Amino acid sequence: MVIALNFKSGKPVYLQVVDQVKAAVASGAARAGDPLPSIRPLAEELRINRNTIAKAYTELENQGVIETSAGRGSVIADQHNSPLRKDARVKLLTEDVDEAVIQAHHLQVDKDEFLRLAADRFESFARRRARTAPALKD
Amino acid sequence: MSPDAPAIAINHLIRRFGHTDAVDGLSLRVEPGRCYGFFGRNGAGKTTTIKCLLNLLRPTGGSVEVFGMNPAKHEVKVKTRLSYVPDQVGFYPWMTVRDTLEYARSFRSHWNEETQRSLVDRFRMDLTQKTSHLSKGQRTQLALVAAIAPEPDLLVLDEPTSGLDPIVRREFIQTVIGAYQEGAPGKRTVFVSTHLISEFEGLIDEFTIIDAGKAVLTMEADAARQRFQKVYARFASEPTEFALDGARSVRRRGRELEFVVTGGSDDLMSRLAAASPETIETEALSLEEIFVTTLTPKGAVA
Repeated sequence: MVIALNFKSGKPVYLQVVDQVKAAVASGAARAGDPLPSIRPLAEELRINRNTIAKAYTELENQGVIETSAGRGSVIADQHNSPLRKDARVKLLTEDVDEAVIQAHHLQVDKDEFLRLAADRFESFARRRARTAPALKD
Repeated sequence: MSPDAPAIAINHLIRRFGHTDAVDGLSLRVEPGRCYGFFGRNGAGKTTTIKCLLNLLRPTGGSVEVFGMNPAKHEVKVKTRLSYVPDQVGFYPWMTVRDTLEYARSFRSHWNEETQRSLVDRFRMDLTQKTSHLSKGQRTQLALVAAIAPEPDLLVLDEPTSGLDPIVRREFIQTVIGAYQEGAPGKRTVFVSTHLISEFEGLIDEFTIIDAGKAVLTMEADAARQRFQKVYARFASEPTEFALDGARSVRRRGRELEFVVTGGSDDLMSRLAAASPETIETEALSLEEIFVTTLTPKGAVA
């Protein structure tokens, strides 16, 4: 998992770390049980505040994306075990979808095109997961 | 002296030299565990402020407190809790690196041997070398080892990386992040004055820009990057004039328009959208660009 920050995006730094770990899980670049980098080497490598990484990991843990145990450090959690209820998860996603809908309106992308794009993206992530899955699995 | 007193509290600090107000009513507050940037041009009053924290100068007016204590009254207590790395480090020239570390240690009640050893290794320092033979980079590294090994609650850095080569600078910042913050990350506070802001971009939680002895902007770094945005728009044909109230650093090149917004710009952005440009792109300013924009007079082109 490679984390690259962009200070020009205007997105808070800890959220960039959160979103990139989640993207790595969605695309299959990181799978359940994979270890996350330890905080200190990652902070040194990215030259960002150690507390920023710690905050990102806490947020990932609250969202059920990673699990932290003493001695073993942080690992990617089994995604079927989100601690949040389904309606809470849907509500979180609604906020992101709203933002995309607003953006679509400003970029003059209509509803049909938007839905087609969403379907395409689902396919694209599914293909990436399939490519990175171990050959013998399933 | 309460346990949750701010690491640094500066209230309406004034420090006058003759008729010049080097610091002129500065206030800021640094909570424990934060990394706080103190940005200003040369002569803005940064070093004078830091000297007041260390009781190297007495304030003409206002007050400074370190962990709730007045440095002039509790100099020893304050100094056991902080370390200071200035831009020009003075060592006794006849001492070796080892002597210098031992001398620094003799003033400290606590010293982490392991931290000293790992940093000496990391910087590939020769303990037997005389300090008079050290390069500027090596002197800064030695000062940093002496500052971090006592594991202080507050690390004050005054232009620590100016005059260093990029590799030493990178190592310096990685050491502050790694070796210093590691022990008790919630308590390790950094107060860094610098004009090499881009180096510290990822480290800074919050900052104050000081100019002519006054705080002109204090913000969280993430909030600042969300608020200060560069907007780029391209039109199908040269746009008719529309009001750019609130925009800074405006540049026009035919069909292209670029400007900086500094928050509260919804009206401006809707006027821009109403002029139906072909594209609108926005990107956050870096802390260094925010510094330049803040200190550039409004009418001027940055």
